[in-house]
Amino acid sequence: MEEKNLEKSSNHLIHPDPVLNPESSGDSKFTHEKFVFKPAKIEKITVESPKVKSFYLKANSLDLPLPGQFLMVWLPGAGEVPMSVSDAGGGSIRITVARTGSTTEQIHKLEEKGTLFVRGPFGSNFKLDANSYLLVGGGYGAAPLIYASKVLSRAGKKGVYAVGAEDSSELLFTHEARKHGLEVYVATENGSLGHRGLVTDIMNDFLRRFKFDSILTCGPERMMYKVLRQGLKLGIPVQVSLERYMKCGFGICGSCVLDPIGARVCIDGPVFDGKLLLKTDFGKWKRDPSGMRVRV
Amino acid sequence: MPKLTVKIGSLKFSNPTELASGILCNGALLRRTATEGGAGAVVTKSLTNERREGYPNPTIVGVRAGLINAIGLSNPGYAEFLRHELPLAREGKVCVMVSVAGSDVGEFLRISSAAEDSGADGVELNLSCPHVKKRGLEMGSDPELVHEVVKEVKGALKIPVHAKFGLTDRLTDAALKAEGAGADAIVAINTIKATAIDIHARKPVLSNIYGGLSGPAIHSIAVRCVYELYEILSIPLIGSGGVEDWQTAVEFLLAGARAVQIGSAVAIKELNVFNKVARGIERYLDTCGFKSVEEIVGCAHG
Repeated sequence: MEEKNLEKSSNHLIHPDPVLNPESSGDSKFTHEKFVFKPAKIEKITVESPKVKSFYLKANSLDLPLPGQFLMVWLPGAGEVPMSVSDAGGGSIRITVARTGSTTEQIHKLEEKGTLFVRGPFGSNFKLDANSYLLVGGGYGAAPLIYASKVLSRAGKKGVYAVGAEDSSELLFTHEARKHGLEVYVATENGSLGHRGLVTDIMNDFLRRFKFDSILTCGPERMMYKVLRQGLKLGIPVQVSLERYMKCGFGICGSCVLDPIGARVCIDGPVFDGKLLLKTDFGKWKRDPSGMRVRV
Repeated sequence: MPKLTVKIGSLKFSNPTELASGILCNGALLRRTATEGGAGAVVTKSLTNERREGYPNPTIVGVRAGLINAIGLSNPGYAEFLRHELPLAREGKVCVMVSVAGSDVGEFLRISSAAEDSGADGVELNLSCPHVKKRGLEMGSDPELVHEVVKEVKGALKIPVHAKFGLTDRLTDAALKAEGAGADAIVAINTIKATAIDIHARKPVLSNIYGGLSGPAIHSIAVRCVYELYEILSIPLIGSGGVEDWQTAVEFLLAGARAVQIGSAVAIKELNVFNKVARGIERYLDTCGFKSVEEIVGCAHG
């Protein structure tokens, strides 16, 4: 019975798009050309923190991503990485890139009018049909949340944006969140701003003071695991945006699979219903490029 | 769907669709491919002695009528895969073939024996990866080496041994050698060596430059290979290349394949492509008055 429920819920998550739904009788409208890179001109670059820059890409030949979806971004000679989208609209897509490895280091060296090569958007998105939201971000994981906050604010919804980082210089998008009408709380590990410690330390405080009917989280996996546990304890649904090493980004290579249910972060995710994640190795194991399981 | 059951030597596939190696490659996904997707059998990613990270991204790109990939045989090493992934894959209750990509006879032998000991239903020798030096195609295009690898592995194993070949000028020679050495089935064909150049970047897309082309672009070539092999071999054939619907699958069966592998079609048709192809084959059999898949295998030959 347990197994059956699980299958049902994972099936449900897989394809919001009826075209890809396994029960749909029609064939997919997609062709292999969906997996071709398209050039995207960099219109503007903003420095968000010492390690993070945002790139505004001209989106004329790209589909606009929904909050939570990601793009595969290729810089010839430097490699290709999945990137979450921190804003989209008005003919432009903003990606927020943390310098974490050699590919992102090369991307950071680009200037305005430069070009990135992009495919996507891929993956699932945040469901934004509740009324009162808690958004919990850590480090560069705040990127998809700030895009969600824009959509929420346009729909007239209320929320709290709680974000943590090691130092105040690394806190992302706090001004933008205020502009979107969210209450902002911050935590820094070195105590340079807000609560000294982790953002999850102060979560119980908001959970007592406000009534939320949905939690969105993105950031370091251990942080998200705590957020998920705390949220579910109070019966609040939690949507978690996961990051995993990916090769293809569109569901066939298997690099980003979560055991033991076989959910793929790139196509069944990256945004998952937290309850489903508790049936996986989320918070415990991930895979390296060889497919070897390593501790989170 | 008993009329869809096919026998590949001593193995029984619950329908003629088999997941191709390298796609959906970890244990839990192999299980899902069987339970949710409806595959009649699954093949694991190709395993090597040592852990391999594969090539840096981009490792896969779409082209007009298919995909080109150069993943680079990434795998955590055979021991880890057999320990952690194979048991999950076997929960799918269909035949699980372990793909082996050795660089010499000893590596093929060691991994194949370990696969048998770990409960694999059979092994598929990858004699045809087009983008990794000293492995795959370089071995598959040397009929004498093919003979030696198949003979040694067959001699050591009780479970069936399938040999997967790519497109080479010596395909028929190599396949005959594999049959002579005791192979239980031939899988044809692997991806075909190819390159994609981005016209805006003016650079090859894949980090490895060369990759393997799969999908509709190679289907008719693969059908030709199976048709030719059916004329000269007596062991079962499994067709692979560009199957994405029941029509392309039936074409392979008529050319002489007893089953078909499906890989890159998963990218555009999702896991359920196996169910759809199998149901389509069943409808075709019913409409044309055949009682089983076996009745149409090789029907196109005179």
